[in-house]
Amino acid sequence: MKRVLAQSRKEVRQVSRDRLVLFMALVLPQLLLALFGTALSLTVEDVPIVIQDLDQTAFSRAYADAWRQTLTFHVVELAPAAQPVDALDSGEARAAVVIPQHFERDAIRGIPADVQILVDATDANTANVLRGNAFGVSQSFVRQVRTRMAPLVRQDVRLWYNPGRDSKKFVGPGAFAVTLALFPPLLAALAMSREGEQKTILQVYASSISAHEYLMGKTLAYMTIATAQWAIGVAVLRFLFGMWFVGDPTPFLLGTVAYLFCSVAFGVMVGAAIPNQAAAIQAVQIVGFLLSFLLSGLIFPISNIPVGIRWISSFVPARYYIELARDAFVRGGGWSATWHIPIVLALIGLVFFVRAWVKMRRMQVPA
Amino acid sequence: MKGLAGWLLGGRLVPLFIKELTQLGRNRRLVVMLIVPPTIQLLLFGVALNPEVTDLRIAIVDESRTPQSRDLVSAFAESGSFLIPVQYASTDASTKALTDGLADASLVIPRDFAERRVRGETAAIQLVLDATNANTAAIAGGYAARIVEAYNRRLAGQAPAPARPLALSTTVTLLYNPGLQNSWFITTGLIGTLLVLIGSIVASGSLVVEKETGTIEQLLMTPASATEIIIAKMLPLLLLLTADIAVALTVARIVFAVPMRGSLALFASAGMLCVFAGIGIGTFVATFTRSQQQAQLMAFFVNPPVAMLSGVVTPIEAMPEWIRPFTWINPVRHFATISRGVMLKGVGLDVLYPNVLMLLGISMVLVLVSAWRFRKQFG
Repeated sequence: MKRVLAQSRKEVRQVSRDRLVLFMALVLPQLLLALFGTALSLTVEDVPIVIQDLDQTAFSRAYADAWRQTLTFHVVELAPAAQPVDALDSGEARAAVVIPQHFERDAIRGIPADVQILVDATDANTANVLRGNAFGVSQSFVRQVRTRMAPLVRQDVRLWYNPGRDSKKFVGPGAFAVTLALFPPLLAALAMSREGEQKTILQVYASSISAHEYLMGKTLAYMTIATAQWAIGVAVLRFLFGMWFVGDPTPFLLGTVAYLFCSVAFGVMVGAAIPNQAAAIQAVQIVGFLLSFLLSGLIFPISNIPVGIRWISSFVPARYYIELARDAFVRGGGWSATWHIPIVLALIGLVFFVRAWVKMRRMQVPA
Repeated sequence: MKGLAGWLLGGRLVPLFIKELTQLGRNRRLVVMLIVPPTIQLLLFGVALNPEVTDLRIAIVDESRTPQSRDLVSAFAESGSFLIPVQYASTDASTKALTDGLADASLVIPRDFAERRVRGETAAIQLVLDATNANTAAIAGGYAARIVEAYNRRLAGQAPAPARPLALSTTVTLLYNPGLQNSWFITTGLIGTLLVLIGSIVASGSLVVEKETGTIEQLLMTPASATEIIIAKMLPLLLLLTADIAVALTVARIVFAVPMRGSLALFASAGMLCVFAGIGIGTFVATFTRSQQQAQLMAFFVNPPVAMLSGVVTPIEAMPEWIRPFTWINPVRHFATISRGVMLKGVGLDVLYPNVLMLLGISMVLVLVSAWRFRKQFG
């Protein structure tokens, strides 16, 4: 135990002397978190649209006003003589509303007047949201005009946990998990592979420290640094994203220990396997970042990933931690919703650690 | 003019160019790096980032327990957007299911639902959505609205009194990407990200290696000037990375069946400008670093903003207003607009010229600044 502590003390001191590494450990993750939280949003506002009113009556103008009143859309003028499709082609507008001739006459007679809405579907998700909004605008207009024709069934929608539909509340905890999946393993892998690259590992072999003590020392040191990163990250979530624990935070705190262990153990494993710093950085980047970014449910639900590769996400630690962080900061389900997560994370971390240990043990000469 | 041509062809540039080209050609790892990572990333991004909202799990609390309420439940079940509804005995139970993440939405049908419907009054139902994921909630709410709307229309049709038809119908036409394939959106943008990132990695790599091993001093001792050295470094990379445009395009066309509705030449030239921007970034980074590993760590500062503030994965319209101007100095943003314009919309230079000009300007500035820094360091 004494040797483990000595090893990790030496490691922490080494990191605190390297300014680039210290910056990468504590400041860069927060910059990335802020960047992700701002840039990774799917909630569009102020989408430019054009309206072509072929009817030009009081009724058609009232309908056009219904579009102007929404927060999602913002109507830009269509140049005279220009066709709505031109505005979509040039990207000036993302959707076009075409009000047909005889719109007022037909509407009053009860003949369905067909409003055409052209949506630029280049961005599939935004197009899907806009389509839903477009139906909503027309429906609420009809309801406003024909007050006496109340619908038979009315749905009252309640949005729970995130009533403002603030995408920061969704992305924030996820981005937090991804930064913790990237930087702690990166630093740990660099430290491990540096010893391999500069051959200082031979001194370790020659010393009395055993493989598991050496690995535990490294893991402990980088978990300490990762905990500091975690704490600053929670503060960023609090002050920049306005998020704080809802409900019981104990599963989250326990899961955090398991996740940081998992993260660092992964880096240690990579560093033990690849005694080349440049290659180790790439390995962590590809596995730690790419998979945590794409196969973790950060942006879109995991259930949307095709079955053929969805199983991979079961082995991506960030996927579990994102679930846990969203529960802790947004939903507040507590133990009953997340009891399995700390266990799974600890198991994955243990697998990484044992693999690193097997690799190191093989190289060490029996004392 | 003659002087420039003579300088370009008769001087030291050609041998230097050939030296770089042979060196690159011998580097097997580089060739692998140019083909494998972009292919894998295009495939992964295209396949994994799927915004489709289907199979929503809905919890039902039917306090009415009448044929009328069961009729409404089956309308949700038959819609295809929701999975078979799961019945819960009380709102407490459905609330717990929502909190534990076992359901995405819950629908409460009140006790007086059937009575009100028989009397012809409006019966309110309550739909609770888990809005943790704001995007899914928005789309799920839209689905539910359409189901209830269709249900109302059906009831109106059954009504004994001559019911007024809805006076308004809305037809939505989806242009450019009618199948709502998100892979078309992602891959067309991602090609630009990959060209810039790979361009910068390869460029910084090829310069830093010479710095690390000290061979850059040998190059500088030859009669060649720093400018010639840097041009001879950049041109073969440009040539080589142009091949990457073809690789990426092949993956997008064959695997994801992305159409090419506009001019391939415009697409390819925009791609080359992107590569140029990447080489500029890489050279710039290389002038600040002494080792490969340092250059790679520096990339952590450059790549995330380039990749995120581009509108490649998420729409720029969803970013806060103050950050949107920054996307204008991002080469990837302009490439994404150009490639989506050319491939999906089929528009040409008459529409895309502002983006082409910006891309040209950005890549020129990047290359000139990095060449200037290189000359200052070694000239």
